[in-house]
Amino acid sequence: MRPLVPRRTALAGGAATAAALAAGLAGCAPTGAGKVNAEAVIPPSDGPVTLTYWAWLKDLQKVADEFNKTQDRITVEAVWIPGGNAGGYAKILSAVAAGGGPDIAQVELRSVPEFALAGALTDLTRYGFAKDEKAFDPGAFAQIKVGDSLWAVPQDTGPGAMFYNKEVLEEELGLTPPKTWDEFRSVAEEVKKAGKTLMTLDPGDGSVLPLWAMQKGSVWFEPKDDTWVLNMADDPTMEMADYWDGVFSDELVSTGYGPFSTPWYAAAGDGKVLSYVGGSWGDALTETVPGGKGKWAVADMPRWEDGYASGGLGGSSAAVLSTSEHPAEALEFLRWMCTDPAGIDAMIENSGIGWSPAADYIGKKRQQPSEFFSGQNYNEEVILPMAEGQSLDWTWAPLMQRIIDRLGDGMLEVVGGGSTFTKMLPQAQEDIAEIMRKIGLKVEIAK
Amino acid sequence: MRSKSAPWVLMAPFLLLFLFTMVVPIIIAIVQSFLTVRRSGLVGEDGAVSHFAGLENYLAALTNQNFTESIARMLLFGVVQVTVMIVASTILALLLESASAKWPGLFRAAYFLPYGIPGVIATILWSFLYVPGLSPIVDVLGWVGIDVDFLGPSIVLWSIANIVTWTYTGYNMLIIIAQLKAIPGDIYEAARIDGAGPLRVVTSIQLPLIRPALMLTIIFSIIGTLQLFAEPQVLSTMSSGINSEYTPNLSAYAYAFQYNDLGMASAEAVIIALAAFILSAAALGISNRLGRKS
Repeated sequence: MRPLVPRRTALAGGAATAAALAAGLAGCAPTGAGKVNAEAVIPPSDGPVTLTYWAWLKDLQKVADEFNKTQDRITVEAVWIPGGNAGGYAKILSAVAAGGGPDIAQVELRSVPEFALAGALTDLTRYGFAKDEKAFDPGAFAQIKVGDSLWAVPQDTGPGAMFYNKEVLEEELGLTPPKTWDEFRSVAEEVKKAGKTLMTLDPGDGSVLPLWAMQKGSVWFEPKDDTWVLNMADDPTMEMADYWDGVFSDELVSTGYGPFSTPWYAAAGDGKVLSYVGGSWGDALTETVPGGKGKWAVADMPRWEDGYASGGLGGSSAAVLSTSEHPAEALEFLRWMCTDPAGIDAMIENSGIGWSPAADYIGKKRQQPSEFFSGQNYNEEVILPMAEGQSLDWTWAPLMQRIIDRLGDGMLEVVGGGSTFTKMLPQAQEDIAEIMRKIGLKVEIAK
Repeated sequence: MRSKSAPWVLMAPFLLLFLFTMVVPIIIAIVQSFLTVRRSGLVGEDGAVSHFAGLENYLAALTNQNFTESIARMLLFGVVQVTVMIVASTILALLLESASAKWPGLFRAAYFLPYGIPGVIATILWSFLYVPGLSPIVDVLGWVGIDVDFLGPSIVLWSIANIVTWTYTGYNMLIIIAQLKAIPGDIYEAARIDGAGPLRVVTSIQLPLIRPALMLTIIFSIIGTLQLFAEPQVLSTMSSGINSEYTPNLSAYAYAFQYNDLGMASAEAVIIALAAFILSAAALGISNRLGRKS
């Protein structure tokens, strides 16, 4: 293969134009948006408005249609995108950087500050969203707040609870679901003696650590004026870390595969893995355990003597993007979707969302006993108090995905025996501070 | 005049696609690898500035321990897996092209078949043979007293190597067979007249003459190894041995799609490309030197 000369020069010419083009593109890409929160508020439109909403919730259009029926000013069109870390976020951020994109996008609660940091979000306090605080579950509302700004509308949450195989744990082994973490340890020992595992963890998934820390009462990321104060090695966190070091070194939980993975389902179906401690959305996933119907039940998340009843894991928000030309209308729709009983029921029915973000409404379907979970009315009896017992002080930091990956890699070291949580967390904190500083944020590590 | 513009018009569909899907993205990546974004305020509300960073991203990438470890991991993987695979491909090709081969067509198709299965699907299929509790292999090994965790930190790399070898051996075999078929019959005839046995034919005629095909498969395999992505990505949810930057491409992917740090991702991508280039050039150089000696 010997390229012909004319073709080579043609390519060189093309490359030169492309280089100029690329330089132009790259030069403005990261800063294309982001100034919108300093500009004048966009007034509501006089005429009819069409909003687009990018999300990976299934059948979201059916939810939007419910809203479209209620009035004739605003039409919402839902567009399905891949899940956030599976490419959805990159798609949203690229669209915003290019000055386009939808009016509304689904963003996980913990990723909201990251999107704000990328200049992709409209600060909703400028559109009067602070007035709506009372309509929301305080635990949900707290997670979209950074300092005084409100960056998104919470769409669902995941208060922690314990889903367990009642038939095996209670009837076969004669144990009761642990109320405290100390009891969790002794129950796990008994379960291990019986040749089973109480719980499994995905060793590379660091997202359980913030859940455990916020339940214990720590606030890892504290915004103070324009500085982030990190508390990832404070007393409550270290106590929590020490506890899990003990659990890991005695191999009381299995770290071979994560909950809801293929092997997990196989083992859970066989009655070999007995529980999942995590977000309330685990209910829908637990319901697909083969042959589990009527055998499983839900209990409170095991807790500490101090700290809170529960913490949050997962959940997402609907964020108004900075490139939206109709933020007022977008907020109007989201107010309906996330607080109106009709909106909540539509989201539960069609999209199977996690815990309701509304203050006084958990969803019609969730006020009844569940056949799968041993006839227990678990939503009202367990999840509701768990949701109400969350820490309201927790704030998510920017770069949360990176932080969680760093924690996940740290957890792999702990599982591999090369470190402990008590050693790993302070190191992770140093790394995370460095990463945040590198992009220009002011960071302090609490003493 | 018409005759001069005609080729351009005919080539335009290709050139435009080539320009916008290959050349422009590569140039954007290179430009971006020299840029970094600095933000101010609690969550960047005081603005973000993109500025020229020189080699900052490259330094950050090369001092990112996860990334350098991932490159070292791929080198180890390549030395073992590419060798095993190329040897296996060559042996299969020689066997299928030998005079005594039965149903060569059928076996050629059978060995090539795995290549037709997308990497993600292949990995999911293999995971059913790896995962404890599901895998009949693990069960059987357990009965005879061998406890092995194919997805454990020390073995998972070789479990991935197994999937890759399974997928690409047949493909490389086919390239080698094509070259074997191009050897003129009179060379074999001459060898036979000179009294060469089957083994002598392999070492003195077939192997030297398929060297170009072997070089091609080796270079493709080196590049493929550095770009390993789908298999570890799929297995990461089931294995305690795969971190978020297990391979160089997973690292670049994490920075681009999860951390929104395009500068770093681009720098890593350029480093991966350079590494593939250098390794391929080295393989070619070694091959040429060996060729001159013989």
